[in-house]
Amino acid sequence: MKTAALICLALLAAGHLAAQDSQFGIKGLGTPGKWESVRARTTGGAFAPFDPFSPLTDASLADARRMSASIAGGTSWRTLEPTGGAQASLRGTRFPALVIAGPVTRRIVVGGGFATYLDRTFGIRLQDTIDLRGVQEPITDEITSDGAVSDLRLAAAARLHNRIALGLGFHLLTGSTRVVATRTFADSTNYRTSTVRDEVAYSGKGGSASLLLDVTRDLRLAGWVRSDTRLRADLGGREVANSELPLTYGAGVLWRAGTQASLAGTVMWRNWAAASTGGSADSTVHDTFNWSVGAEIGSLGTPIRFGVRGGQLPFGIGKTPSEVGYSAGLGRQFSGGRGRLDIGLERLERKGTGLNERVWTFLVGLTVRP
Amino acid sequence: MRRLGWLPFLLVVAACSENSTSPGVCPNFCPGGSISIQDTVFGAIISRDSSFRGYFQSDHATLMTAADSPGVIDSRPFFTMQTMITRIAPKAGDTTTVPIIVDSVRLRLTIPHRDKEATNLRLKLFQLPVAVDSTSDFASLDPYFTASPVDSVNISNLLALPKTTDSAIISFWKDSIRVDTAGNVLQIQADSSLLLSLKLDTLQAPLSDTDSGRVAYGLRVAADSFASLRVTTSELSGSGPQLHWYYHYTIPDTVSTKPDSVVNADRIVSTRFDNFVFDPPSAALDSNLTVGGVPSARSFLRVTMPAFLHDSLDIVRATLVLVPVNAVQGVPSDSFALEGRNVTTDIGAKSPPGSTASLIATSFVHIGSADTVRLEVTNLVRAWSLDTTLVTTILLRQLIPIPGFPAANWPEAASYTQARFYSSRAPAFRPSLRVTYVHRFQFGKP
Repeated sequence: MKTAALICLALLAAGHLAAQDSQFGIKGLGTPGKWESVRARTTGGAFAPFDPFSPLTDASLADARRMSASIAGGTSWRTLEPTGGAQASLRGTRFPALVIAGPVTRRIVVGGGFATYLDRTFGIRLQDTIDLRGVQEPITDEITSDGAVSDLRLAAAARLHNRIALGLGFHLLTGSTRVVATRTFADSTNYRTSTVRDEVAYSGKGGSASLLLDVTRDLRLAGWVRSDTRLRADLGGREVANSELPLTYGAGVLWRAGTQASLAGTVMWRNWAAASTGGSADSTVHDTFNWSVGAEIGSLGTPIRFGVRGGQLPFGIGKTPSEVGYSAGLGRQFSGGRGRLDIGLERLERKGTGLNERVWTFLVGLTVRP
Repeated sequence: MRRLGWLPFLLVVAACSENSTSPGVCPNFCPGGSISIQDTVFGAIISRDSSFRGYFQSDHATLMTAADSPGVIDSRPFFTMQTMITRIAPKAGDTTTVPIIVDSVRLRLTIPHRDKEATNLRLKLFQLPVAVDSTSDFASLDPYFTASPVDSVNISNLLALPKTTDSAIISFWKDSIRVDTAGNVLQIQADSSLLLSLKLDTLQAPLSDTDSGRVAYGLRVAADSFASLRVTTSELSGSGPQLHWYYHYTIPDTVSTKPDSVVNADRIVSTRFDNFVFDPPSAALDSNLTVGGVPSARSFLRVTMPAFLHDSLDIVRATLVLVPVNAVQGVPSDSFALEGRNVTTDIGAKSPPGSTASLIATSFVHIGSADTVRLEVTNLVRAWSLDTTLVTTILLRQLIPIPGFPAANWPEAASYTQARFYSSRAPAFRPSLRVTYVHRFQFGKP
């Protein structure tokens, strides 16, 4: 328990409620979050539809037979390789998901928590020379955004039959980003640094539904759908943007290959392009398809997990940016099964027109069942 | 589990070293907006500008200017010293006094500023009536200044001399000094100002009972060219001219057969009054904006800030542009500072100057140059932009720099120089405010 307390402290110190940012999200609404616990993420996300502590589906909450809470955190080291530009290295610690769930009746489980819907944390630095008062003046612009659109979820799952569980969720999109635009001049004697600070608040709503079907004792299928309203961005109480959000749907399969091994795979689609542009052609917004395959091997107390994922990112000029990821991790139960610590390592490679991005992420998750 | 105890600390360390800023790859991987900048010259926003004279008299200044540029300016400092004892009680408690006999006198002058290009720079000392005061003007003193000088010292020659290495002299003066054949001593201080000690005899510095030991002198400067220097006055915390009297007296021995004993002593006498006069006098005020001269003149510029400068943008530079009516006449080294600052309330000529150091702007006006004068008033205009309750008036005044002193201690009315700028009544050359500003960044849009 002492270790668990330490990890909680560390996660709180991390502070940021965000997922994993990417340069591909700067031009668009942001970088979509991964609605996965550390357990699911170390299987490439394949176990997310079946994991009650992954905010992806609501039906999976039906498997939370005791009051439980799970939290995930991760530290990323990101390398950017723009075409024709200098390589840059970035670091960030994020706190992407929290799920609390517990049964209210024998068949109904209620849960909630938060996850990152869109990460809006980034910073760019630009250097240029402009003509000011007839003199060539070197300048440095820095535009930073710190924050995210968070997804607050209230969900319920009901086991309609021994083999069927249905989940419904209500989502409140909220959060804000602290934004700063700074221009500094090389001639700091005559020109003062200009700094403009603001806070952009986001709001929106959404609903989700999902179904788990146990085809056999060892084979489980999952399907889910989610729809959100428009995302409103306010600056000082004034609406500055109102963006459509995509319809999300997907399916998954889980096969228990004995008592010490499970395999899973998922597919998911999101129609960002149709939502953001209202059907018109926009070369910077793309529909996305994502897939993942993963496995969990070993006993319940000390499993080893690994997985692979692939898919696309919604924002980027030209060709749709792609993402491939490899992950592995392990878990360990403690305190007689009342707690579980999951750790993992993830490698992501993103490729798009004009930029490649490579990310190492160290993940830590803690689940407690008081 | 103990083996995993280092994990949280790893996270904490990582969290503390967040770095999310990278070189931008624009426009493909940059936010939609950009920081845009604009530069605008506002001419018509300065109006109701006016000048007033009479703030400081020359005898209030901490400097006196001596300059001689034939046909341009002739500026002459003068000063009268405090009384000096002529008799002394030989012993404590004595009711009788004995006369003192002056051996020598040293006149100490501090010269913080001189034209370093001047060659053969000479300072001449003239004896003046002890009654000189603030009513004395150039014409009334001219006969004394055109008489033969009582002493003269060549500063250029003194500066060219090597420093003395005599340890006894260094011990007395507490410094390495330069001394000429007449015994005049020159010390160069850390702030590059000169400390000149003129050696006078009893004819040059007569101790007169009638005048209670008071003496008065005037100074004129001469050089091959660029004849100008400034002398500090008593207003600068006791840095004015000082007269050091060295004297002796005899203690009569009326009891024993021992001869009378002689006592050597000295006394320092400070300045009673100091001032300077110059010709031609400062020109009268007209429709232009005037700063400087004696008595000192100040100008006030009322600025009507456009509404859009108050919001939606960030001012990064603001420059007050002033076009001179003509080049300031004088000796080139007599360039001066033009200060612009806010006023706490605008009540015309007696508007009290603001005291916030960050809102004060300074620029230099060079003698002989008719170039446009630019005063960087960025902080002041930024303050006006952020706080609409501030009085949007700029006070312009002349300051004469003193080496080694902050600008807050620079005096007005310490020089004959005076600058005149076109006012808003001359539309083609009126004062203007050039403002460079950054538009508010359009946050929130993808």
